[in-house]
Amino acid sequence: MFIRLLNDRFSVKFHPQGLLWILLITLSAAMLVVTSTRMGSYPMTLTDVWQTIHGAADNTRHQLIIWEFRLPRTLVALLAGALFALSGAMLQSLTRNALADPSLIGISQGAALAVVTLIVVFPEVGGYWREISAFAGSLLIAIVIRLVAGSGRSLKFILMGIGLSAFVSAITSAMLTYGDIERAMSALAWLAGSVNSANWQDVRILAFATTGLLITYLLQARAMSPMALGTEAATGLGVNLRWLGNSQLVLSVTAAALATAVVGPLGFVGLLAPHLTRRIINTGPATFLVLAALVGGLLVLTADLIGRTLFAPIQLPAGLLTSMIGAPVFIWLMLHQRTQT
Amino acid sequence: MSRVTIYSSGGLLFGMACVLLTLVWHLSVGAKSLPFATVIDAFTQFDAGIFDHIIVRELRLPRALIAALVGASLAVAGALMQGVTRNPLADPGLLGLMAGASLAAVLSVSVFGLETAVWLPLIAAFGALLAAALVWTVAARAPGGATSLSLTLAGAAISGLLGAIISVLHLLDQQTFDILRGWLVGSIGGRGLTELYWSLPWLLAGLIGAVVLAPSVTALAMGDEQAAGLGIQITQRKAQLLACVVMLTAASVALAGPLGFIGLVIPHVVRLFVGSDYRWIVPWSAVFGAAYLLGIDAIARLILRPQDVATGLLTALVGAPLLVYLVRVRIR
Repeated sequence: MFIRLLNDRFSVKFHPQGLLWILLITLSAAMLVVTSTRMGSYPMTLTDVWQTIHGAADNTRHQLIIWEFRLPRTLVALLAGALFALSGAMLQSLTRNALADPSLIGISQGAALAVVTLIVVFPEVGGYWREISAFAGSLLIAIVIRLVAGSGRSLKFILMGIGLSAFVSAITSAMLTYGDIERAMSALAWLAGSVNSANWQDVRILAFATTGLLITYLLQARAMSPMALGTEAATGLGVNLRWLGNSQLVLSVTAAALATAVVGPLGFVGLLAPHLTRRIINTGPATFLVLAALVGGLLVLTADLIGRTLFAPIQLPAGLLTSMIGAPVFIWLMLHQRTQT
Repeated sequence: MSRVTIYSSGGLLFGMACVLLTLVWHLSVGAKSLPFATVIDAFTQFDAGIFDHIIVRELRLPRALIAALVGASLAVAGALMQGVTRNPLADPGLLGLMAGASLAAVLSVSVFGLETAVWLPLIAAFGALLAAALVWTVAARAPGGATSLSLTLAGAAISGLLGAIISVLHLLDQQTFDILRGWLVGSIGGRGLTELYWSLPWLLAGLIGAVVLAPSVTALAMGDEQAAGLGIQITQRKAQLLACVVMLTAASVALAGPLGFIGLVIPHVVRLFVGSDYRWIVPWSAVFGAAYLLGIDAIARLILRPQDVATGLLTALVGAPLLVYLVRVRIR
């Protein structure tokens, strides 16, 4: 299936097999959304959920639980996961490094530092300042790492990123010890990478961001396939590498920053989702990006669901679970990476 | 005596002077600042009637001793690891030993309800050894073998995993978390002399072992073949050195929590001055490591007085940029 717009400036191709997978994963995501709204300390039946969403039932308790707590939380998990996945996919294409992940090379940590600073030092500012400062923080770190580490094809790039994120995290922790205890506690809850405080404003921000970014990403998709062949081949095929690189960096940072601003730094999702997608199906970049976003959403949703039900009433933040799955996968990828050093 | 010997032993004396100076400084700062003279008087003319003397000897001295010992031990452990593995990025924190030791310590407290500090160094040593073995196995299977890069990346991934497990254990058991929270970010405060006594034998054994084995580290740093040519039994010597590293790391973690990057920073700085002879690198690392951690810990207590900033944060602030620099310059 082809989508061609703007005199072929925007052309996207979806394979039938890819479309099938997109459908399949969308369906399972929908099923998981329903499961996620049903489960919790107050279990509900399928019909309860259905009727409440339709507005047919006037059980106020059900309405409160679904509309105020479970649905926003579920949607935020889904959307944040999609954003992290898109950011990771973009970063991997940009650096042509299979191990690149926004939480690994310090981009998420930059956002975290900016937001913690905001919470601790200027607690009175509201509105969209959290998102804006997260973006500024992570863009700053991304630029620093570009300057320090160069092209990013190698393992060196990842290691320097790890060093940089250790540095940034230390400053963040120092901010937490320095700050007023109540503000520090609220910052700490956010830092653990948890979606439990989600509200509808978060959902709105993330929904806008995901739609906007996905469209922009698809606009870029056309240039991404020649990029996979290497820089020389891509230049030969007429790709403006400098422009593409910069715009990819900004896009990747935007996605990671917005997601981090809402749910905190969720580790490894940007690494896991693109790789899982590649294992499912080998397609062109457009299908790949859409699928990766879906898989990312599915991952975070599952992590959140497991985290809040496994040891209930204790809630494990989704970020911990993604890290526990992500670290072994990182090691596996390291062992099987074709291009070393 | 050759010029090198004079220069190197002079440096060692200078290092010891630094240790004494930072020790006095460390003892003088805190919630109540004391003049240096009072600190010195507390040792030379101790008077149990003067409250400040009690503060120095009873409250501050244990922390200072722990800082000095842990700094020395971690710096020496890092130097040995860098020499033996010929890896400029080797450090007990980076290669996962500290995460292993921490997890073992947390498990022993939260799951097995261990209450005394007697066995903590031993359990931590076990955890450190396991983590080191795991990191080494993973790195050795990477394409290109156990290079500096693959070792450090494997160390980072495994540290991340073990750290996540530690966090889960905490969330499931808030009580233990409250006990260990300060300790886990690498904090020297809140540890008394009892813990020090139980870790001291391990630290001393490790340090003495390091000094004794230092000449063979110089040979091993030139490569296994050269070392074998010089008549060193490689496997045996490496096992002995590993034992030293694990003892030093585990006892340090048991005392002060995972203090990162000391083992990276100090040996690299020391090498700038004494070159590649481990007979000098090891003792220099010990004295300058002690002075460094004493200084850092004093600053940690000073900058946000009356609050303590966890010492581990400051060591990371200094160490992480050095790591980035080393990767950029020293690794091809």
